[in-house]
Amino acid sequence: MAAEAEKKEVQVTINGTKISVPAGELLVESVKRLGLEIPIFCYHPRMQPVGMCRMCLVEVGFEQQDGSVRMMPKPQAGCTLGASEGMVVVTDSEAIHADRRGVLEFLLINHPLDCPICDRGGECPLQNNTMAYGPSTSRYVELKRHLPKAFPLSKYVTLDLERCIQCGRCVRFTEEVSGDADLAFRFRGAEMQPSTFQLTDFESRFSGNVIEICPVGALTSTTYRFRARPWDIEAGEGICSQCSNGCSVWIDRRSGKFVRISGRTNEDVNEEWTCDKGKFGHEYLNSTERATSPMIRKGDSLVPCTWHEAYEAIVAELGRGAAASLVGTRVANEGMWLHHRLFHQTVGSRDVDFRWTRFLPPASERIGSKLGSPAVQGTIAGLEEAKRIVVLGCHLAEDLPIVHLRVRKAWAKHGTDVAVAYHSPTEAERFASLPIRYRKGSEADLLRSLLFVAVERGATVPEAVRTGLDAFSPEAVAERTGLAPSAIRALADRCGEGCAVVASDALLDVEGASGAYQDLAYLCSATGSTLHFFPRGANSMGAEALGLLPETGAKDTWQIVESATSGAFHSLWLVETDLAELPEGSGALENTPFVIVQTTALNETARFASVLLPMAAPPEQDGTWTSCEGRVQRMKASLHPPGEAKPAWRIACDLSILLGGGTPYFGAAEVMEAIANDSPSFAGCVYSSLPEEGAILDLTPMPTAPLAQE
Amino acid sequence: MSFEVFRDVVKPIVVGFGITAKRLAHPKVTIQYPEERREQFGRTRWRHVLTRYDSGLERCIGCSLCAGACPARCIYVGAAENTDEARFSPGERYAHRYEINMLRCIFCGFCQEACPTGAIVLRKDFELSNYEREDFIYTKEMLLEPVRD
Ligand code: SF4
Ligand code: SF4
Ligand code: SF4
Ligand code: FES
Repeated sequence: MAAEAEKKEVQVTINGTKISVPAGELLVESVKRLGLEIPIFCYHPRMQPVGMCRMCLVEVGFEQQDGSVRMMPKPQAGCTLGASEGMVVVTDSEAIHADRRGVLEFLLINHPLDCPICDRGGECPLQNNTMAYGPSTSRYVELKRHLPKAFPLSKYVTLDLERCIQCGRCVRFTEEVSGDADLAFRFRGAEMQPSTFQLTDFESRFSGNVIEICPVGALTSTTYRFRARPWDIEAGEGICSQCSNGCSVWIDRRSGKFVRISGRTNEDVNEEWTCDKGKFGHEYLNSTERATSPMIRKGDSLVPCTWHEAYEAIVAELGRGAAASLVGTRVANEGMWLHHRLFHQTVGSRDVDFRWTRFLPPASERIGSKLGSPAVQGTIAGLEEAKRIVVLGCHLAEDLPIVHLRVRKAWAKHGTDVAVAYHSPTEAERFASLPIRYRKGSEADLLRSLLFVAVERGATVPEAVRTGLDAFSPEAVAERTGLAPSAIRALADRCGEGCAVVASDALLDVEGASGAYQDLAYLCSATGSTLHFFPRGANSMGAEALGLLPETGAKDTWQIVESATSGAFHSLWLVETDLAELPEGSGALENTPFVIVQTTALNETARFASVLLPMAAPPEQDGTWTSCEGRVQRMKASLHPPGEAKPAWRIACDLSILLGGGTPYFGAAEVMEAIANDSPSFAGCVYSSLPEEGAILDLTPMPTAPLAQE
Repeated sequence: MSFEVFRDVVKPIVVGFGITAKRLAHPKVTIQYPEERREQFGRTRWRHVLTRYDSGLERCIGCSLCAGACPARCIYVGAAENTDEARFSPGERYAHRYEINMLRCIFCGFCQEACPTGAIVLRKDFELSNYEREDFIYTKEMLLEPVRD
């Protein structure tokens, strides 16, 4: 953007008004500066213009030396023509109106008028443009094109070929944005159809987006099919809680029931895209397996009870012995903070954790306390400004799909050089100039070796880190990593000033994770690269920032599970955690006398509950969420919790009062105020002042942490 | 009898009865409802009916246009997909739920006007009183016209 603003400005005249716009700006964009609109179909601001539909015709001329204006003989496509000095543009002459009528009449020749049953009807650009610019009647009485209706392009996308106006937006999306190039046009002329090459399934992590950008109802959502019409729907501002990207979405409901997710524009995070995990992953909200009422164990069975009975049982049991708590990452900041405070201060137990990776860096090992700089040093949008990007040890498209899109955009739009190192094929390899595939499980060796090369090239690391490094020259690890030494050197050379290193906490799951994790941090700090060590769990970053971690001496997740298995705890409090899913989980659950299961779903773990507390799902409560880049965003309650379910913060608040007295909070907003008073990094997150696009937390650790760098 | 008594008592009585006597000769308009019923106007708008095609298929395609047009927001349409095994209407879509809250309906007929297939029409049954509020939610089964043989 900055570079574009510096571009030369030119004077153009639009409908008689002179304005100056950046040279080369497309006319469809320029006219918006005057509040005008050129109707479009195929043009999309985030993709290259192709000029396929001709809806955007305008009259264009040029000022001559003598002051007269010489118009071009034919109308021009406003979506492909860039502004230049002295250009004269007319967007609403009689001739242009006739042209638009003509284009629309032409497009409607083959478009079936089944708007009443089309899911797009009511929010359809073709309907809107026809209403505004089109002919009011049809002269076409011949037989229309007939093609398959409701063809399942993929599990999520239904294609109605009759409705397609061949604008190519879907094809270009897969080529330019998602990069999987899964769709293409087959045949020519009126027969032209978007489809996959071999008529295979349209498999993409981002297929849901084509539903939203298709300007007609040719591509519709299979899950949302016939659920509602646009005027039946109310939309709530939400944040996707399927992963830690924190994409802004609309949560659409009909009569209080969730119907679909659509992308909501947030230039700093997801632009306007969503991934399929997010767009189609919220069906659990309507599940019949939701926890709706508190339950208590009576003999062998769980029976519904009142909140009061459930609380009483908890109050009676919590004091009877050691207690520990495991928290899932799909809990809002407010719930995390109050739960932690309740556990720490009122229950008096320090054994609480939210992390689920195999290696859990203890307090002293965390990047923050080691280096004095946070583990996430840049933003998602900031990746576009990086000179080089190195994606290390994570399947980015799987772990953080929207970060993947940003990395791809950096490559596609700014020519950023991308290097990828992972043990299996990933989407990022397709555009990486240096794709490296190491042997699975050799991450630690690779990172040591990268650090070796960095030190060889003159980077400084603390003595302690240096010891034993010499055994990890690229030549020495070649065998174990399966990589040529030159490849490791080339990868290490990418790191340095202006390089963004992107990794996810998947790195903590590998063999030798403790070393790999530390080396990654030193590699970045020594070479001056910006580290983006993103956690994957929805609100992991929030949990971390709010200190929901075991302090030195307290037990972490796996120690809690282990101790519980040996019967060390009297009570175990699980918040939105399906512990029974893990191989070691059922042992821990069986050997703990009192298990509190606070959950949205009646999952496997719920069967072990002594007391079950139904919890509201993320879109069913007001709250803030901290994304992987440390961005705190507000999600408003769009739905009602099922039955008697309550948000996590309210459960923690109720119990704090029963256990230790005090005054209740009267809303999530008040809890956030208390958080802001408590930890200064959240000061800007009070609801009344939290900006629409969210606020980035300052995650720089307190200077008490020792700076190892010298 | 004073002049005042004549003017204020006797004359009004006589004049009043005179009007009554004159009316005796006019045709009667009061009818003995409910035994007797008056013919209604052609465009009377009362209780809704969901109509069918001659083939017996439902006209309603579950498009919710009626619900969108309704100023009282008293129509709920839930759509579902026709299959070859279970076909309710021609085409892909039919209404599996169709409800009108007659307590809120103002009988404006906008739904009838909005309907692209002429499925929902307001007919002449005006006797809609009932005992329970719930009974005023007219379901699809109540609204749908029986199949004609
Ligand atoms: S399916 Fe939709 S987006 Fe794709 S070419 Fe057809 S009209 Fe355009
Ligand atoms: S008659 Fe009017 S108020 Fe009644 S259901 Fe139809 S549109 Fe609604
Ligand atoms: S009655 Fe008519 S307008 Fe209403 S849903 Fe059925 S087809 Fe659509
Ligand atoms: S919008 Fe310009 S040709 Fe389609």
